[in-house]
Amino acid sequence: MVVKMYWISKGFIFTKVDSFVHKLDPRVKLLISIQFFTLALLVSDLIDLAIIFIGIILLASISKILSRLIRTMLFALLFSGIILGINIIAGYSFIYSLQIALRFVAIVCSTSIFFLITSPDELEYVLRWFRIPNDLVFAFVTAVRFVPIILLDALQIIDAQKSRGLELERGNPITRIKNFVPILVPLIVNEVIRSGELAEAMESRCYGVVKKPTVLYELQLNINDKLAIPFCTSIFILGLLFSI
Amino acid sequence: MIEFKNVNYIHVNGIQALKEINLSIKPKTINALVGSNGTGKTTLARHINGLLKPTSGNVLVFGKNTKKISVASLSKRIGMVFQNSNHQLFADTVKNEILFGLNNFETDSQIKKNRFEWALNFFDLKKYENTSPLKLSGGEKKRLCIASVLAWNPEVLILDEPTVGQDQVQKEKMLKFISNLNKQGKTIIIISHDLEFLWPLKPNTIVMAKGRIKKTGKMTDIFSDDELLNQTCLMRPQLLDLWMKLNIKEEPPGDITEATDAIRRINGS
Repeated sequence: MVVKMYWISKGFIFTKVDSFVHKLDPRVKLLISIQFFTLALLVSDLIDLAIIFIGIILLASISKILSRLIRTMLFALLFSGIILGINIIAGYSFIYSLQIALRFVAIVCSTSIFFLITSPDELEYVLRWFRIPNDLVFAFVTAVRFVPIILLDALQIIDAQKSRGLELERGNPITRIKNFVPILVPLIVNEVIRSGELAEAMESRCYGVVKKPTVLYELQLNINDKLAIPFCTSIFILGLLFSI
Repeated sequence: MIEFKNVNYIHVNGIQALKEINLSIKPKTINALVGSNGTGKTTLARHINGLLKPTSGNVLVFGKNTKKISVASLSKRIGMVFQNSNHQLFADTVKNEILFGLNNFETDSQIKKNRFEWALNFFDLKKYENTSPLKLSGGEKKRLCIASVLAWNPEVLILDEPTVGQDQVQKEKMLKFISNLNKQGKTIIIISHDLEFLWPLKPNTIVMAKGRIKKTGKMTDIFSDDELLNQTCLMRPQLLDLWMKLNIKEEPPGDITEATDAIRRINGS
């Protein structure tokens, strides 16, 4: 189970890869992600959704993160199964329910792909570029940075409790949920302690002394970015026209 | 008792953490796993209670292959205390924390009661019985973690960095606990960078570097080997260093009292 968790988690965590897409300006990456997201929200039939999936898979292939995106897709498919079931129980047709479920997967993938190709540092620069208050940017980016750390903590805790005889996959569904208490309590306590320590460490390094701290690098569009924007936007507009 | 036969282990991220490990750990001994950071000490220890299974090769514990046994059934005989106490503690009281493992492994209520009382008293935690584990100090938390593992009476105890964050008084208490447990017949495996802590225990020492076992043997022999120390970035324990610099042929002392006695004896005073 731990190995499975680790395997799936890699579908949500940024890793530096040498690819054309990774080198793009983070604002361009965000634009592409928003375009996929918007199309996933607007399209209504299965063929349109299939085209969006092909687009996302193509982008992931160029970015050399296809194997990671597949993990995200599998994770989203678990939840989409629930969505499919609920819609069918609610009396909607199978085709309609399937559209809703797949749309959910497309939305998750279009969001996930942005986080898979954008480092937390780049994310920080984008948010600052949008003039979002510094405290909010810091809180959000820190949360993103801490995802892999929290995951490692969770894996350590699972190992520690398994060594004391905890069997996560034992018992009926209610018992299985209860089995997670010895995992969740230390995990939450640890993260609360860590957040307190982090706040103190930041304050002792002068966090909050100036309202708007300066940055080392400024975002600048290069030639690849200037070509990627019209290219992606024209495909997006075509997609919009096609779906409407 | 515990045997590693040509064990290799590759992490899910593709890094080979253990390379061709062949090792035998005898019952009722104290063993120390030493080496610099990232050499595979914890990975090796996690193979003993089956948390990790070898990519190739076999780990035999009490004659059984760990690939064929669950972690829970191995843990009943092999207790492991993790480095970070906060990763383990979750119950509302010290009492429930100790009972967690006991409830998982022991069914006889009388044995459970006896073991619980023993753990509370042996680790000097009786006065905290109804206190939240989170309110304990670092040293007390560590003692509670060990107590909650030893409560179900495993035959082997693995301690991962037991002295991290412990003051000298707590370290000395820990030393006594380990020594007493060994006298009671427990096999102890300690992963530690704290060589001064290990020295009085005179453990069978296993030196690791880059996923391989470089050397095993008595602590005195290992730490007399300058070339090995250079290769593995280990420092010689101070009392052994003193003994070597004074060129004293006698067996090196375990602590400062033994050292003082030996020096007085040699000087004839």
